Formats: sequence, structure tokens, C-alpha cells
Amino acid sequence: MDRRDFIKVSSSLAWGAVVFSPGTLFLRSDEAIAAMAPAASAQVPDFASAMLTSDMLGLGPDGKPTGQKATFTGASKANAKADEAAKHQMVLTAEEQAMLDGEKGEEVAKLMKILVLFGNTFGAEKLVDLGGAPHSNLYPGAPYLNSMIKMLDECAEAGLKSYAPYTVNPRPYDVYNVQNNTKEMEIVYDGYPLQKELDWVHARLGSPDLNIRSCACYIEEIGNAPEPGTYVAWAESSAVNYGNSALGIRTNRNGAGIDLICALAGKAPLFGLMTDEGRMATWLVDVKTSKEPDWGALGTAIGRKVVEDVPFIVGIDTYFEGGEITEDNLHLLKAMGSATAASGAVGLYHVENLTPDAKDKGRKLLAEGYETYVYDDAEEQKIISTFDNLWPEKDGDPTAAFIGCPHNTYHEMLKWGKLVTEALEKAGKEEAAIPVYMFCANVVRNRLIEEHGELAGKMRRANMLATPMCGVTWAGTKGFSDRVRGVTNSAKTRNYSTIRYFPDQTLVDIIVTGKMPA
Amino acid sequence: MAKKTFKGRPILPGTLEGEALVSKMPFNLTGSYFENMFAGNTESAPCTDANNPDLYQKDMKGAILCTSQCVGSTMGAGALMGVSEMGVGLKAFLFSSHIDSIAAGGLIIDDVWYDRRVITIDLLGDEFLEAVNTGDPISIKEDGTVEVG
Repeated sequence: MDRRDFIKVSSSLAWGAVVFSPGTLFLRSDEAIAAMAPAASAQVPDFASAMLTSDMLGLGPDGKPTGQKATFTGASKANAKADEAAKHQMVLTAEEQAMLDGEKGEEVAKLMKILVLFGNTFGAEKLVDLGGAPHSNLYPGAPYLNSMIKMLDECAEAGLKSYAPYTVNPRPYDVYNVQNNTKEMEIVYDGYPLQKELDWVHARLGSPDLNIRSCACYIEEIGNAPEPGTYVAWAESSAVNYGNSALGIRTNRNGAGIDLICALAGKAPLFGLMTDEGRMATWLVDVKTSKEPDWGALGTAIGRKVVEDVPFIVGIDTYFEGGEITEDNLHLLKAMGSATAASGAVGLYHVENLTPDAKDKGRKLLAEGYETYVYDDAEEQKIISTFDNLWPEKDGDPTAAFIGCPHNTYHEMLKWGKLVTEALEKAGKEEAAIPVYMFCANVVRNRLIEEHGELAGKMRRANMLATPMCGVTWAGTKGFSDRVRGVTNSAKTRNYSTIRYFPDQTLVDIIVTGKMPA
Repeated sequence: MAKKTFKGRPILPGTLEGEALVSKMPFNLTGSYFENMFAGNTESAPCTDANNPDLYQKDMKGAILCTSQCVGSTMGAGALMGVSEMGVGLKAFLFSSHIDSIAAGGLIIDDVWYDRRVITIDLLGDEFLEAVNTGDPISIKEDGTVEVG
């Protein structure tokens, strides 16, 4: 197939191709507020999130506050003092000062003011020029994001663009493959009335291609994988976590909004995980399981233990052939890392003999006074035992399988396609007992069709449905657990929802039989 | 009660007097504003975080909120801007610890882009959060000084 090299492809995208200008599409404040008006009461409706836990919730596995002092930048500020912090001012270049003073227009001046204030707040020494390409997590067109979208629209109207074409998280719904029924359609159309406006803003600022929408922006088919050491300003906890760790890029764990402001300015304040000091590990995680660990459980354990600190993980590089991260094994790090970012707020981890920083510096990355956490078979079982059955009808049969959060790689699509269809053939069946939602970017689905058309056809007939949406967003809608009893291979999805987590082979059995294991 | 004075860092400075609304545990940005974010309430801001016994179902509209820091989803900045746009946001946000990056992003963007200021002071110290209780009179000065009592 014609593989996507994100940077190459994107640089050839014609900015001028997006020429029609329908003017400001998003809602004025009063219209947006009107759009939020409830039909009858102010009860939280079906489209509201019903997250059971959240990254950075500040609660431990026992449900009690952890007392954490995380700033979600990977940079502990537990010992910061008000007087010293208040004095801090980053140094600007002449060019940056001119931007701040309005030489490049009112919008750029405001963007710079935000970045300077934000950077000073976190003790940034200066702004740095960004490379590679941005990744944004601003994906849901929910009414409460109207101010954010409106700000970006004003930037687009002023002719601003991201310093490079960028990638964006998956859209929050798919009315073709998943929510193709009246009830679900009502929920998503009520919940995301600004989706069109948000898509249009992204298109004008530098991300017009919906076929590459994915949280796993770094995979081969999308190709947003900057070189090690590149400064970027990404948002999306799993992408930041993978990028900093497996790619060796340098980004803080940004919230929605700051990512795109950095992208439009082409600069980010230098602090936290972007610095050598901020990338030092304060935990040594010693993995001593007798066999390959359950990657989701391992990630969950690490996230709960270190919260936002940087762990240095030893004992797992042997599961990566040749000590290299490849398209065929990156899903292991994706599964583990996303779980660290969901059960905690880990923005960077190092793996001995594997990840770029660790290959370069080895155990010199361990900060003085680091703590040690041993993860063995007993610890793994202890973690898995905390994964409660949260279905309202605990003994009910499963009704859907959720595979791929973060989005599946091509290797995972092939692996799951073969696993399920071969198991079905063995059982004398053509169709799975429950729908299997395969979350992936459209370009990954397309590659599967192009290179393994026969398997893709079998998967479709087996009710394995490729969808480019964000699965965990669907799982977070209120009332979801009353409608769906889900099973998943994603510890991240488990962390955020009532969907139950199982090892791969158990999941295959469930998919074939529609029954829980005895 | 005897007046106690604390000195923090004014990130978004201002002067204000009023009553404290206190969350002794970290404040979940998105979890606390569900009714405004998703249920169409634009008149008040009842806290929807059932995990937070200090604030659950209390109206946060126009409050001087005192807490250690914020937690929750990375979409939290949008939530802060959303309630601000609705006119049910906070008047002041007082943190005993260092402010987190999600709250800082939302508060600073809203202040600079829309000129909607929530007075924001952090690093007031653990003693501040131990001393202050919901309903206590609070006086905030431009330089980050906060008087309780």
C-alpha cells in the first residue's frame, strides 16, 4: 500500500486547498448556552460522562485521597515556595518579545501572553522552538468547549496555522459502524453539537484529514513520530506517554488548549518532561514475573504506585526481539504505558535496554534517592484482583467486545483478525456471538483491506467492526453500562468504565461463545 | 475567630472579599461540573463530584474556592472556560499547593483571551488549607496575601 509518512504527506498538503470560507461557524456564547439547555430538568442526561475513575483523580485503589501533589507535568513542585516562584520570569528572545508586543498581530500576541504566563507559572527558563508535528486531544464537539473552539476559530480567521500539519484524537462517535441506531444517535448528536465546528477549526489550522484521526498518532500508517530529542507540545495522555518514552521526544503532559496554542505559536515553555532534569527517574520498577507480564496490569500497577513520577523499568526488554521497538511489538508498550497514564498520570517511563533515553544513558537516569517497586507474580495477581466486576447485572452475559484503546496498530488488527476468525472456524461458526469493535484509524483499516482483503472480509462477516471512533468515550456515556456489558483487552478502558478486562485468549473464548469463562 | 494571614503566589492577581468554599481534598475539575458541562444548567454550579464530601451538591457559582490543587481529565481546562462563559464560574481559586497544569491552562487562557479573570493564587501552604473552613470570611489582596477570619 501507499504507506503514510506523516511529515512527507502533510508537507505536501495544500494549505490553500481549504479555500472556501463560510465564516464563523461555531456558536456565539448565547447560542452555545442555549444549546446546553435541558429539555425539562437539569438532570445529567445520557450523553454525560459516567467515568468511574479518572486519570489523576487523586484517589487510591481504596477510594481514598492519596494526598498527591502532582502538577501533571512530571515535575514535582512539592517544595516550591511562593516568594521564589512569584519572582520567576522566563527570558524571551527579541523575536519572541516582538510577537508578545503585537508585531505579528493581536492573536499571536495573546497566544504569546498565554505561553509566557503559563511558562512562568511552572518555572520555565525559556521558550523553545517546536519541531516534528503537534498532536491534539481536542476531539469532542461538546458545548462546554465552545470558548475553546471559538478561540481557535478566531485564530483560523486571522490566518494562523499550526507550525506543521498535525494529528488529532479520534472523533467521539461513529454513526456508521457503532451508534447506528436511534437511541445512540440521539445521545451523540445531543452531546456533540459542535463537532462540525471543531472539525472545521482543525481543518483550517492544520489537520484536515479525518482518515488519520487517532490517539496512536505515532504508528507507521500515520507517521507522526518525531525524531528522539525533538521538542513538541502534545496532548493526549497515552500519546504523550508513548512519545516521550518510546520515541524519545520531549513534551509535557499538556491539557487541551495549551497544545494548540503552542502549535500556533510554534513554541513551548521549557520545563518538566522537556528537560534533562525532569526526565530523571525517581522509581526503579523491577519486573520479576515468571512469564511475560500482563501489560495492562503492569501499567496499572506502575501508575498507581508512582502517580506522575518517572519510572525506570527493568526486566521487560527481553520481550522485545533484538532489543528494538518495532511496528510488531510497540503495542506492548502502548498497552502498558496507556495504563500508567490512566491509573496514574505518568508522562514518561524508561525501559532498560529498550527506550531511547535508557539506551543512551542507562541507569544514570535514576535520580539520587530513587525508590524501588518490585512487580512479581504475586503483585500481578494482587493488581488483577482489584479489577472488580462493575456490571450492574453481574451475572449477565457479555454483549460487546472492545479491542484497541489506544487505537489498534496494523499488527494488532491482523493478530485479532486471525485469532477470532480461526477460533470461530474451529468452533464451526462464521459469526462471533457478540459484536467485536476494532478501534483503529481509517488508514489502518484500509491497509488491512488492501493487504489482507480475504481476512478483512472474514472479519466483517464475523461481526468484527473496524471503527475510527474513540471507544472509551462511548463507554463513558451515562447509561452505557445499562445498555452494554462490555469486555476489553484495554486496561485504560477498564480504568475509565464498567467494561471488564481480560487476557487475550479469554477474550477470544468469550467472543466465540458469548459466555463468561466458568 | 482570630484572623490568620497567608502569603501565596498571585498567578492571576486581584482584590476580593467574601466567604470561603473549601474542599480539603483535591478538586476534580471535570467531575465537579458535569451538570454545567452536560446537563444544561447555566444558572448555578452544583458540585457533581460524589467523591468529594466537602463540596458535593454545593453551589460553586461565584465562589472563592480553597483547595490543595485540581485533579481530573485533561479536558479540565475546557470545563473551566465553559463555566466561565456561562457566568457560573468561580470568583477566586486559592490553592495550598502548586497549581496543576490543567487548571493553570484553563484559567490563564480564559483570562488572556476573553478577559474573564478568576483571581488565582497558589502556594498558600498546607497550613492555609488546615485553617480555612467553608463559610469563613476571606480577604484577598493584590500581592497574593490571603486573610482568613
